[in-house]
Amino acid sequence: MIKYLLGNIDNPNAAEIEEYEKAGGYRALTKALSMEPEDVIGEVRKSGLRGRGGAGFPTGMKWMFAANDPKFPKYVICNADEGEPGTFKDRHILEKNPHVLIEGMAIAVHALKAERGYIYLRGEYPEAEKSLQKAINDAYRKGYLGFPLHIHRGAGAYICGEETALIESLEGKRGQPRLKPPFPVNAGFFGGPTVINNVETLANLPFIMASGADSYLKIGSPECPGNKLFPVSGHVERPGVFELPMGTTLREIIYEHAGGIKNGRALKAVIPGGISAPVLPPDKIDCPMDFVSVQKYGSMLGSGAVMVFAEGTCLVKVAWRALKFFEHESCGKCTPCREGTGWLRSILERIENGQGREGDIELMEDVAGNIAGNTFCPLGDGAASVALNFIRHFRSEFEDHIGTDCRKMAVL
Amino acid sequence: MIELTINGRKVQCPPKSTILQAAQANGIYIPHLCWDRRLTPYGGCRLCLVEVEGQKKLLASCSTPAEQGMVVQTETPKLEKARRTVLELLLVHHPLDCPVCDKAGECELQDLAFKYGPSQSRFSGERKHEPEFLAAPLIERNTNRCILCGKCVRVCKEHQGVGAINLIGRGFKTKISPAFEETLDCEFCGQCVDSCPVGALGTKPYRFRSRVWFMEEQPNICPYCSVGCTTVLSLREGRIMRARGKDGVGINEGDLCPRGRFGFDFIESEHRLTTPLLRKGGKLEPASWQEALEFVAARLSEVKAKHGAESVGALGSERCSVEDNYMLRKFMSLAVGSNNLDSRARFGYHKQTGALKKAFGIPWLALDFNAPLAADVLFVLESDLTSTHPVYGLKVLAARRDSEATLIVAGPQETKLATWSSTWLRSRPATGVALVNGIMSAMLEGGLHNKDAEKVNGFPQLAEHLKKYSPGEAARMTGVSAEDIRQTAAALAAAKNPMLFASFGSSSNTKGEGTALALMDLAILLGRGPEALGMPPEFANTLGLQMAFGDEGKGLDARQMLYGNGQKPIKALYIMGENPAVTFPGTAKVMKALEGLDLLIVQDIMMTETAAMAHVVLPAASWSEKEGTFVGLTGKPQKFVKCLPETGLSMPDWKILRNLGTLMKAEMGAGNFAELAEETAENVLSAQLPAATPALTAVEQATTETTEDGYRLLLATGNLMQHSGSLTAISKNLGSAVSDAYLQINPADAKACGVTDEGFAKVSGKNGAVIYLKAKVTVEVPEGMVFVPTHFAHAGVNMLTSPPTNGEAPAVAVKVEAA
Ligand SMILES: Cc1cc2nc3c(=O)[nH]c(=O)nc-3n(C[C@H](O)[C@H](O)[C@H](O)COP(=O)(O)O)c2cc1C
Ligand code: SF4
Ligand code: SF4
Ligand code: SF4
Ligand code: FES
Repeated sequence: MIKYLLGNIDNPNAAEIEEYEKAGGYRALTKALSMEPEDVIGEVRKSGLRGRGGAGFPTGMKWMFAANDPKFPKYVICNADEGEPGTFKDRHILEKNPHVLIEGMAIAVHALKAERGYIYLRGEYPEAEKSLQKAINDAYRKGYLGFPLHIHRGAGAYICGEETALIESLEGKRGQPRLKPPFPVNAGFFGGPTVINNVETLANLPFIMASGADSYLKIGSPECPGNKLFPVSGHVERPGVFELPMGTTLREIIYEHAGGIKNGRALKAVIPGGISAPVLPPDKIDCPMDFVSVQKYGSMLGSGAVMVFAEGTCLVKVAWRALKFFEHESCGKCTPCREGTGWLRSILERIENGQGREGDIELMEDVAGNIAGNTFCPLGDGAASVALNFIRHFRSEFEDHIGTDCRKMAVL
Repeated sequence: MIELTINGRKVQCPPKSTILQAAQANGIYIPHLCWDRRLTPYGGCRLCLVEVEGQKKLLASCSTPAEQGMVVQTETPKLEKARRTVLELLLVHHPLDCPVCDKAGECELQDLAFKYGPSQSRFSGERKHEPEFLAAPLIERNTNRCILCGKCVRVCKEHQGVGAINLIGRGFKTKISPAFEETLDCEFCGQCVDSCPVGALGTKPYRFRSRVWFMEEQPNICPYCSVGCTTVLSLREGRIMRARGKDGVGINEGDLCPRGRFGFDFIESEHRLTTPLLRKGGKLEPASWQEALEFVAARLSEVKAKHGAESVGALGSERCSVEDNYMLRKFMSLAVGSNNLDSRARFGYHKQTGALKKAFGIPWLALDFNAPLAADVLFVLESDLTSTHPVYGLKVLAARRDSEATLIVAGPQETKLATWSSTWLRSRPATGVALVNGIMSAMLEGGLHNKDAEKVNGFPQLAEHLKKYSPGEAARMTGVSAEDIRQTAAALAAAKNPMLFASFGSSSNTKGEGTALALMDLAILLGRGPEALGMPPEFANTLGLQMAFGDEGKGLDARQMLYGNGQKPIKALYIMGENPAVTFPGTAKVMKALEGLDLLIVQDIMMTETAAMAHVVLPAASWSEKEGTFVGLTGKPQKFVKCLPETGLSMPDWKILRNLGTLMKAEMGAGNFAELAEETAENVLSAQLPAATPALTAVEQATTETTEDGYRLLLATGNLMQHSGSLTAISKNLGSAVSDAYLQINPADAKACGVTDEGFAKVSGKNGAVIYLKAKVTVEVPEGMVFVPTHFAHAGVNMLTSPPTNGEAPAVAVKVEAA
């Protein structure tokens, strides 16, 4: 199995430009630069690459929209805000293999005839900034970069990972999402056509350009080709980031690559795609992990972050903690999310503390049901569906928890 | 037109409408809290959700474009439930302090909660406990009541072009605040307050004054500038409690500036005159109307007998109605027999009417208020339009923002329009003529002018004259680069619909008649007529006064009456609603003329500096205490109404003049206001604007004084957005925003003069006058220039100025030292 994202990661010097070059780095860029920008876009379209930031949008199509917009200057922004709980895949690229990202950005900038590139980096990633900046400097020194490439450090808001909020923030404004349409591909950064791609998405480009779309299409599943990084956390023996072909099953990821459930306990629940993805019960773990299949199983691939909960975990507490996160991170723009996340959190909090009331579960369902789908952006939506799905799959646990303080009985 | 179905009804709406707009256009109500006609959709409150066939999710109608064939439902059980949840969520943190909230009774949240559902949330979560913010002038803020619709933020930033407030913090903790939670320091237009659906923003003068259901609403025409906004007064027991803009009402469609929203309280000032006053033993003493009018009649006859009727003059008022000024003219001609009639407009509006006569042969401009929105290149010359004519200025801003027109602002001051401009030509002060000449020269040089202009009278002379103002030469005179001058010429020449803007106020001394004339030349070279000029008159009734006074040149004008320009001095002066001791340029000369009078009659609403010098003072009823007609920038008459009792013994100006004239045996007519209004409508307001006949005039760059050693700073005087003439100095409300004159000076000049920020500066003129002002060190003015607002009598700014004599810009040179 070929690992083009993190294959070289055990080499302690993998982040050095010389090592990267030795492993064939920057040849894809040289090749791309010798091609017409339209042809680069054509190749990416053909590869079937889908965005790794969560929504799985076809990257080539996004590029084409931006390229077709007559306005200039155009921009390429790398979304390295990685703020979703459970997600720590981009960090490995940023810290350990930064050149694969930089090369990917250079390919994108060429393909889009963009004026410059920005990397919007999660504020809490100081190490990544160091390695990335060094890598950028080295790439300049070696003459690989013919455009300005800036790192912009975020200030610790999850919402700034949402692409339009990211742009607002990058423009120096308050980080809250913008109305779409117009989409960033038509009116993004300071109104210019802007392509925003996830770190991992961009890191796929060198392989696609070097080996060609046809080889790329041979990896992964037909509708979602390529490798995917799966950050696995929670009650497993070997938590970590695994580079595996799209479509690898959850079971394989948990039991083979992550070494199975910790201390041989039984699996109780798994969140397959970061905290915003609906939780799945154990009987769903034969789900192939790609954008299409996970949806069929009632959840979403999201960032591919697998969070594993073993038997004995209090899921009310997990749900409560998730809602606490959403409440904290709600930007405040729209009513349902701003006010509703706090309400849901407080109901969960009282259930968790043994002070739940009769009817609390129905109340939560009613409130969350009227938040879901009615918020401005997917953050609030995610919050509501987290609550709804925990109740949906584990209702009896919630019911049993009303009036009981599980801290007195849990075996975590 | 787009066709769609809403609630089973086929409806139509213009392209680019949202679903909400389509519904509104067809009388279908969709509840909304964060949408505002003037602003880009926000989609925050989520109250305006609708169901669209084929869409799984509910859509926010305010921000979803209406599409051909769409099938929309606005009232379904599902929507009702979603809306109820939104309202419930809004009430989660809401303090529910309606009994002590000034908004109660007209609060949109209260109304919606009443209409849709819960008056209280099932969730009694945490409330907010921020203190109220009361430190700023005029605007109060209670963030606990805020529902975070963001309208105030967007009105301030998008619509007003200010950006004084924003949402800070995130999630539940978000609140409205100026940057860094400092005290609000802004324009104090109050637009944010009107836009707030709840009681989170309020105006301090209205705080705890009344419950809304005790008040009556009375729209009236704002008495300040010539825009003629409708300001909606809330009345209670014969007093104005507050003034607001109301969406869609008046030419302003709800927008207002600080003056129109807060300036009404001058009516209740303790400086109001309540009784006639007669000078007895050197002091002004209360007198009866009978006594006062008999005194005036007798003394006027004496002066006439001794010096002839032509020794009597009168000044009318740009703030009084058409009817009042018409009666003054009638009084002067029938009772006195003199044509010596003028006003402060001599130093302001006449700059442009003088030019208009020469350039187009017309007496005034009738502006199309919305014309700026259709312009593609807007050129503003040395004018702070958003201060002098705030709501007209908004149109220029809107053209720039909404239709992305090119806005070229020329002038030394960093005005709001300059900051929003596409190009800011930072010219030296009072060099407008040179700049416009340079632009025209560049146009001729490149053959960019409209060829029809070559047939216009005066073209050869102008073309010859402009050789002196080559772009290079103009660059030397103005400080704007020759390249920029050429580019401006090219941009204007390429425009499909260019407009040229300038305001000619009596207090602004960096433009003269010549400046107006040069701009009109430019319009003609662009192949345009008066419709391309955005030159509003100064005050609410400046144009009406001009109409009422009619033909000029029959008698003495203000310069001849007061500045002794080689004429026999006048002996008696009747001043109605004007304060020349403060507002006229060259105070020393004015004072000398006033002091030399045998008889000074001042008719005013308040005890002005001029009234204090009078032999007799007649108390006039003010705006809102009388009815009348104003003619503003559109040239169309607007009626203002009486909604308050007259103060003390005061009377409408026209009535005083009628009574006095009748006493003097003149046939004054005007048995009542209706009769008078009919007479003015016929004699004054029926006048038609003649067709324009263009002519080109060569204009030289000239100022009254030039800078030189010792006097190396050019003094520019002008208007602030928060004030108007000297009248608003008695408005406590506006005074709380800006209470005093100051000297704006560039840091480099300040350093050279030894002046510090907030320190006092001594300003001396070549005429020997000296005044003292607090310094504001700022880069808003360039090096070599200082700026002082003229509204404040005690600052004595007009001691330094002088009236223009020959169409030049009456700018003066001063010396500034630390005081
Ligand atoms: C609340 C929220 C947070 C997000 N955070 C991230 C993030 O941290 N990193 C990321 O790449 N995409 C994030 N996204 C997705 C982006 O909006 C966007 O879809 C993505 O950057 C597009 O890149 P891709 O096409 O390469 O996937 C987030 C979306 C939402 C709604
Ligand atoms: S759902 Fe609304 S409040 Fe929540 S993050 Fe998105 S826009 Fe902000
Ligand atoms: S009063 Fe006017 S300038 Fe001040 S914050 Fe409100 S809208 Fe902005
Ligand atoms: S202060 Fe008023 S207008 Fe501003 S966000 Fe709050 S509720 Fe809306
Ligand atoms: S009015 Fe549409 S979301 Fe507020």
